[in-house]
Amino acid sequence: MSNLALENVHKSFGSVDVIKGVDLEISPGEFVVFVGPSGCGKSTLLRMIAGLEDVSSGTISIADKDVTSLEPYDRGIAMVFQSYALYPHMTVAENMGFALRLAGKSKAEWRLIVEDAAKILQIDALLDRKPAELSGGQRQRVAIGRAIVRKPEVFLFDEPLSNLDAELRVQTRIEIARLHQTLDTTMIYVTHDQTEAMTLADRIVVLRGGKIEQVGKPTDLYDDPDNAFVAGFIGSPAMNFLACEAVNANTVRVEGLEVKLPSLKIALNLGQKLRLGIRPEHLNGTKGPSLKIKMDVVEQLGATAFVHGKMESGTPILVEARASRPKAGELIDVPFAPEYIYLFDGDGQRIR
Amino acid sequence: MAISGKRERRSMWFASVPMGLLALSCIYPLYFALNNALKDNRGYILDRFGMVTDPSFENFVTAWSRARFSEYFLNSVITTGGAVATLLLVSSMAGFALAVLRFPFRRTVFVLILASLMIPVQVILVPFYQTIIATGLLNTRIGLIISYTAFFLPFSIYLMTAFYAGIPRDLTEAARIDGARFLQVWWYVMLPMGKPALLTLGILNTLYCWNDVLISLLVLQNERTLMVGITALRGEYTTNVPLLAAGIVLAAAPIVVIYLVFQRRIVAGIAAGAVKG
Repeated sequence: MSNLALENVHKSFGSVDVIKGVDLEISPGEFVVFVGPSGCGKSTLLRMIAGLEDVSSGTISIADKDVTSLEPYDRGIAMVFQSYALYPHMTVAENMGFALRLAGKSKAEWRLIVEDAAKILQIDALLDRKPAELSGGQRQRVAIGRAIVRKPEVFLFDEPLSNLDAELRVQTRIEIARLHQTLDTTMIYVTHDQTEAMTLADRIVVLRGGKIEQVGKPTDLYDDPDNAFVAGFIGSPAMNFLACEAVNANTVRVEGLEVKLPSLKIALNLGQKLRLGIRPEHLNGTKGPSLKIKMDVVEQLGATAFVHGKMESGTPILVEARASRPKAGELIDVPFAPEYIYLFDGDGQRIR
Repeated sequence: MAISGKRERRSMWFASVPMGLLALSCIYPLYFALNNALKDNRGYILDRFGMVTDPSFENFVTAWSRARFSEYFLNSVITTGGAVATLLLVSSMAGFALAVLRFPFRRTVFVLILASLMIPVQVILVPFYQTIIATGLLNTRIGLIISYTAFFLPFSIYLMTAFYAGIPRDLTEAARIDGARFLQVWWYVMLPMGKPALLTLGILNTLYCWNDVLISLLVLQNERTLMVGITALRGEYTTNVPLLAAGIVLAAAPIVVIYLVFQRRIVAGIAAGAVKG
């Protein structure tokens, strides 16, 4: 049984296709994060699920009911907006209880439900204030509270943390994770921040240009990306990509260095032009083949340092140095283990 | 300005002279009307500009009862009140529709409404009058209410549309998700949020309707509104100026009160209309 299903969903604005055929099934209670660069269609997809955008073709079902042409309020969803979207002329309690009031609940009834939700979010002391008297973090809680009181089938979050400062963002992120554990409701969360995606998601949906690039658990996307885009998008700092060439069935030459890839299942064609990906955190081994890098800029973060350097060919490369405290201008050797290498073909598809 | 020298401060004093004269030119007619309204006709003829020596409220009583000003006043209150209420209701709904809803030909409708702002009343007086006769609205208060609404609606819609366009879309969408139908979105969200703009519009439209002579003269010919009533106090050969002045004071009093209460809003509102859009 799925709680939400998208079947071949398309969306176009005039002649521009924004969503180009998305298929996705989400199980009850799952926390799914849509992630991708700006303009990839993640917010549009969320708004289509919410019913705020029409679906050009395809179907959306929630709790096994086709909701494609239903109004937002008939879909059993609740949404938390990036801008909070609190009604400025209503108190916190009225904001949270608005949906219940519209549904015909008496004041005593909705007030009770609102107070319960406010306790969960620790905003019960703020119920009679107006949104303008609240801080950004408090407003975000009210917006979440407004979603909770409706007891929806699916929670939708549209970049809910973008307007918060760094510290509050981390705090609220943890609270959302906790909330998901408490409520055990399906949540769909849109963000462009891959840290949020990695930390919150049961499954991540990576979108690009209106299409799903890959769906999977955060660790699966990190360990086993399907293509260069996902490999580059998931993980921070981003993966390094270097041009390389096949010299035999399982060996490539990169920057004059021949690297044997024992785990490769497909035989490479001699002379095949490929791209090799390796994450900065994997460029600090102690043995194995090693690249020569001239250090350019060193970002010291205390526990670790990010070294921005250049290869002999001039290709920029980023190395995460944990053990050593390198200085800019030095020439260093960075050994790495070949099993951390990802190979991609000319189209960016992974070669396993 | 704080660090300006003596010379600069002196030149500021020079600026205050013409400004003071300007202010005087605005206040003087009010003073003239009030001063002469308290004189009798003889007193006025003997000394037009001097201060009243023996003030009497006789003229107000005469204007109110014998010159049928009480009747005119009621007409003005009903037509202005009716028109302003209709204007606010319609412009708020239309502004919501034009700014938020995505219906076909939305832009065309908005452009047409804007275009009607460019047409002066005087140009369409004849067809307007014929329409009033043809629809049987001549000499009815409802006819005048509809006419005022028609003439002042384009500006009101324009202002409300500009105001509502500035309200984040997320708010109406949040209301839709919360279960509000279109009319409920308007009633629970847009109407209360439009309060500042509606207040401004209410004041401005009250001024326009209350002070109007031309449209009222055409539509309400048997009965009269206050402003038309005042012009009727002028005789062909002689005019009882103190009585006329008393009428003017009676007619202007509500407007002056409104101005005093809402003066900040009026200034802000006119500025909003000038800058927005």
